[in-house]
Amino acid sequence: MLLSGLANGQRTTLLMGGIAHLGNGEKIDNSIISIKEGKIDLVADLSKIRIDPDAFDTIYKIYGKHVYPGFILTNTKLGITEIDQVRATHDFREVGDFNPNISSQIAFNVQSKIIETVRTNGVLITQATPQGGVISGQSSVMYLSGWNWEDATCKANDGVHLRWPSSYYNTGWWAEQGKREKNKEHNKKVNEIIGFFEKSLSYSKSNNTVDLKMESMKGLFNGTKNLYLHANYANDIIDGIDICKRFKIKKIVLVGGEDAHKVINHLKENNIDVILNRVHRLPKNEDSSIDQPYIQASILHKNNIKFAFSYAGGMEAMGSRNLPFTAGTAVSYGLDYENAIKSLTLNPAEILGIDKTLGSIEQGKEATFFISEGDALNTIKNNVQYIFIKGEEINLENHQSKLYKKYKDH
Amino acid sequence: MKNLVKLLFLFLISYYNSYGQEAFPVNGVDENYKPTYAFINAHIVISGEKEIKNGTLIIRDRIILEVDSNIAIPNDAIVYNLKGDYVYPSFIDLYSDYGLKKTEKESSSYRPQYKSKKKGAYHWNQAIHPEIHASHEFNHDKERLKYLEMGFGSLLTHKQDGIFRGTGCLTLLANNQENDDILMDKAATFYSFKKGASKQRYPTSLMGSIALVKQTLLDAEWYENTSNHSNISLSEYNSNKYLPKIFELKSHLDYSRLFKISDEFEIDYIVKGIGNEFLRIDEIKKSGFPIIVPIAFPKAYDVSNPEEAMDISLSKLKRWETAPFNLRILEENKLTYTITSSGIDKKSDFIKNLRIAVEKGLSQKDALNALTVTPAKLIGMSEKLGSLEKNKIANFIICSSNIFNDGIIYENWTGGKKNTINKKIKNDIRGYYTFNSNNFKDILVEIKGSKEKPQTRIIKIDSSNLKTTLNEKRVVIYNDAGDFRCSGVYDEGTIKGRYQDRTGILHEFIMTRDSSLRKKERKERILKTTDVPDVWTPNKSNGLAKSLNKKSLLFKNAKLWTNEDLGIINNGDIAISNGKIIAIGENLDTNQIPDFEKLDIQVINLRGKHITSGIIDEHSHIAISKGVNEGSQAVTAEVSIADVINPDDHNIYRQIAGGVTCSQLLHGSANPIGGQSALIKLRWGKSAEEMKIKNTDGFIKFALGENVKQSNWGSFNTTRFPQTRMGVEQIFYDAFYRTKRYKEEWENYNKLSLRKKRETNPPRENLELNTLVEILNGERHITCHSYVESEINMLMHVADSMGFKINTFTHILEGYKIAKKLKQHGAGASTFSDWWAYKFEVNDAIPYNAAILNQAGVVTAINSDDAEMGRRLNQEAAKAVKYGKTSEEDAWKMVTLNPAKLLHLDNRIGSLKVGKDADIVIWSDNPLSIYAKVEQTYIDGECYYDQKNNLSNQERDRNEKIRIINKLSNIKGNNKIKDRPRKEKLYHCDTIEHE
Repeated sequence: MLLSGLANGQRTTLLMGGIAHLGNGEKIDNSIISIKEGKIDLVADLSKIRIDPDAFDTIYKIYGKHVYPGFILTNTKLGITEIDQVRATHDFREVGDFNPNISSQIAFNVQSKIIETVRTNGVLITQATPQGGVISGQSSVMYLSGWNWEDATCKANDGVHLRWPSSYYNTGWWAEQGKREKNKEHNKKVNEIIGFFEKSLSYSKSNNTVDLKMESMKGLFNGTKNLYLHANYANDIIDGIDICKRFKIKKIVLVGGEDAHKVINHLKENNIDVILNRVHRLPKNEDSSIDQPYIQASILHKNNIKFAFSYAGGMEAMGSRNLPFTAGTAVSYGLDYENAIKSLTLNPAEILGIDKTLGSIEQGKEATFFISEGDALNTIKNNVQYIFIKGEEINLENHQSKLYKKYKDH
Repeated sequence: MKNLVKLLFLFLISYYNSYGQEAFPVNGVDENYKPTYAFINAHIVISGEKEIKNGTLIIRDRIILEVDSNIAIPNDAIVYNLKGDYVYPSFIDLYSDYGLKKTEKESSSYRPQYKSKKKGAYHWNQAIHPEIHASHEFNHDKERLKYLEMGFGSLLTHKQDGIFRGTGCLTLLANNQENDDILMDKAATFYSFKKGASKQRYPTSLMGSIALVKQTLLDAEWYENTSNHSNISLSEYNSNKYLPKIFELKSHLDYSRLFKISDEFEIDYIVKGIGNEFLRIDEIKKSGFPIIVPIAFPKAYDVSNPEEAMDISLSKLKRWETAPFNLRILEENKLTYTITSSGIDKKSDFIKNLRIAVEKGLSQKDALNALTVTPAKLIGMSEKLGSLEKNKIANFIICSSNIFNDGIIYENWTGGKKNTINKKIKNDIRGYYTFNSNNFKDILVEIKGSKEKPQTRIIKIDSSNLKTTLNEKRVVIYNDAGDFRCSGVYDEGTIKGRYQDRTGILHEFIMTRDSSLRKKERKERILKTTDVPDVWTPNKSNGLAKSLNKKSLLFKNAKLWTNEDLGIINNGDIAISNGKIIAIGENLDTNQIPDFEKLDIQVINLRGKHITSGIIDEHSHIAISKGVNEGSQAVTAEVSIADVINPDDHNIYRQIAGGVTCSQLLHGSANPIGGQSALIKLRWGKSAEEMKIKNTDGFIKFALGENVKQSNWGSFNTTRFPQTRMGVEQIFYDAFYRTKRYKEEWENYNKLSLRKKRETNPPRENLELNTLVEILNGERHITCHSYVESEINMLMHVADSMGFKINTFTHILEGYKIAKKLKQHGAGASTFSDWWAYKFEVNDAIPYNAAILNQAGVVTAINSDDAEMGRRLNQEAAKAVKYGKTSEEDAWKMVTLNPAKLLHLDNRIGSLKVGKDADIVIWSDNPLSIYAKVEQTYIDGECYYDQKNNLSNQERDRNEKIRIINKLSNIKGNNKIKDRPRKEKLYHCDTIEHE
């Protein structure tokens, strides 16, 4: 087969010799990838086909380097916050308990200085997620590149985020025991959630004039939006799923799931995908095994539960450039490498509903991927040299590399 | 000598306090007759040591006149026959706030309070009030009954608030005029580390409290010799300083903290304990304090929900199980202790818990002594209280039988006055009766229940239980519906009386007893040989069941990261013995290992593995109790993290599992001059003192920027100086000018001749300035929290002009902008690998910082400042390779040799070199790789972490948890408590409060 890149007079790009991690669990050690019209035109084993390099506008020889689909960062405030201690930069938490109408998309600051530093480690797509309250609002899937939020949008309002009230109530303080009561607010809040869902479901069948909150819940019942259920304790996970199921919500994704490995059957029976907490975290409590956060991914994988990595937690915006390394840790604790990649790419793409165009290096999908000189999951090897978003090469400079350049020989 | 003086003094006051009726005006006529009472035929327990099976006790007024068997009873005596009853000396509680109002907290003000609000010439800190005297406020109240019911006859009561709390008074519970009941108006002075109701900012942390205690003790000493200053608080402290001192502790770890103070100031304390002394019994034994122990045992946990049950921490479960053994363990360790009711919510729990403690192996004799003889002795009142002996105060309880088995208290006599607790029932009316009246014939009736609270059942009719009251001989039987009511009189087996039918007619009846209830064969409480549950150090998951030992090992064929001229040895051998590295090289021959024959070295092949020296975290805040910041004042050089090391913190274990062997525990960054650091090795399972590295240089934390300006603490925190970087500079200049004046003052004083010295008052010793003097003398070294270039530059100017150096700038995220200046000053840098954007001042932080500084020749370390990151500092070092292209060897030194240099410990740790400490880590892979895992961590040649043992520990801990949960689920009753897994508190630089 002879490929001609110049067909139809479009710009074409050819990448030769890379170790391609396709994102779907497969790998091609000596690959050839071509880009046309921002899309992947071909992915193949270089040794198995003949090509005519002259037929392409641009050729990258990337022998021995690694190619990955753009990593997808789920459940994050990256882009809707900038500096943790400066309140003026916070755009991720609205007032009130039930805010399903809030949408992160329009607050997304694609020019964030943090975003440029996250991109350069391989994270190219993010799910900008509001926080706070019981229903925090809607997340949107965003590219980490663009002129404004509109062209950075990958999928607007992909889902509603419900934070399940924790069954426990904090009293006293850590060194001295306070009263150990169940969270009395818990039942009240759960009842509020039930009431809110009842109303939303009824609204979805009615012809009422527009009610902003109800309107934004509609998608949960017709399957156009995910319900992201944030819950950590085993009992809360089970209660949350059962109650949401009662309202015929089409797709529920568990977010957090500190105890997810304890409720595997329940997750399976209900077909629930999981967005994990940050792998680099402390164990749940003093009795948890020291590697509990590290091995959770491999346990879920062994049990055929689909999951994606996230970096939720303290200082998550700036820290999210370490997302690839957290997957690396999961690899050293039992998750196989290509599945770790999948959990950064195709799995989140499927969960977020963008897998038709993104999430893997496959013919016809968007050319949103990057090339690292070495293993992108290993800190000492991760060295991103080229980034393509929708087929376009992205500048690798960032605020920090500019300062480095300015001062290194000062 | 000190003790002798104290004893003499106590002897004097105990006589000084001998009672005498004060002339209170009488409204009416004077009732002055004091009868003599004789208690005969009693089982008299004189003390733990001595009892009389059939004795007589004679008292008059409030004094015991005689106690013995076979003594003549005075004619005029009121005689009580106590046949079958037990008499004990009544109990003494040394830790009570009976009869005193609780000190209320003042309402919160919007702004923090930095100065004392107390009017008058008192101490500057509101938590120091030795001028408060319980006797000034004491008044009997209805709580008295509660104490009497528990068996107490006298209490030492004080205002339980503050750090220097003032004096407590010893009172009888006789309910006389306070003037008569108070046996000693000042019986002891009281202390704690908790500031209580004071709203003044200082101290915010435990280490602040400790420093405040020490400074106050110094001030009190100084005040005795000064004349141009008035301070009521110090004066009151001094005038009461020979009284016994009772110090309330809140944690088993506080024992060694107080011991250091006690040792330094040569002060003996009595400790109000916690009830979990078993947790670190060896250390507590070493401290040697007499202990006032509460017996409010933890309540049983509700384990009905399995998920929730598994979330109850093993440490809590183990504490629940072992707490009832606490007294026994104290006894077995030969400690002096007394028992307090403090912390008991329900009065019936006191005797109940006491019996549980006895059941768990505390002897009755020891239990009684701990309630009587010992407390009396501790406050110097043995002459008057604690046993039933001639001339002592008539404080005793009369019980139905042995109180440690099932005896109930009938009467509690205090100061010769009777208080009835439970009515003594002379007649046991229980048994099977035949009931006869004109309309009922031969009805079978059973009276059962207890002697005191009988219950009636008419067997032949409906067998329902009827209420029964017994008052002397009068028996009333009735049912709830009120349709059966009868009243009769019991006399030797028959009850005669009348009952009323529905028409209102009264009928005579007679009940004759056919047989007494068959007394259940009472099994003598056989002292079950109950085994004390295993106590681990620390007593929680991964705790050590037995201590480790130093091994002699030869690791062969591993890749050795030496950090020395040898570089990385690809296939090397390393031998350790007696805690040190004894040989290193390629293919070591046994004759290259000193004393190979004698050492019994175990050879381990580690092909494919990597060996490094242990990771050193230059900036850590784990293993700290109750507050990392004494952030209340701009300068707090007097406080020290070394006073508050928490060896029980499980983050220690988590971090050795990440290859960390040594940490500098730093004070936080809430103020420009913070507290002193502690250098520890992560010797998991050891005590706080054993974790400290011996003979190190001193270190202290300084800080700059947003934290010390309180920029991010909310808009109410805008009154403490400094609020700008300009003010920060002035704090440093002021502190060091004050230090220089202070230093000179002392130098001048020390130059004086001995004779002159005697005539001159020494300057006031100031712990804060003492520490700063050490900096000027080059004996203490600064680690300064810093971010932006301007402030770093500023501090180097201050240091240069005042004559000291900055040892390390920590964080120093803009260090790369002034690398040459740092090099010139000689400062080292300890930085984050890639943190930024968490506050305004870290906007220009870059992950290339470490590489640039290293390149410029600055000694550069990468630290954690974070319990999570501390688990994987190897990965953080890797970022120097990723971002700044630092060589792998240099990057590795950033978490090992370089921090060792910054801590002045590089002659002992930080590399693989013969003679250095055997602090080594075995890795599965290149330690900088994300795929590297720690397989073993050795500190001083002892294996503190082993991947395989970790797995077996997990199994052990799980089994232990299940075992205790099963035990809990067998416990009946519905007053079990819910538990929740508490969110762990983790300290960072800017954690302000510990509450």
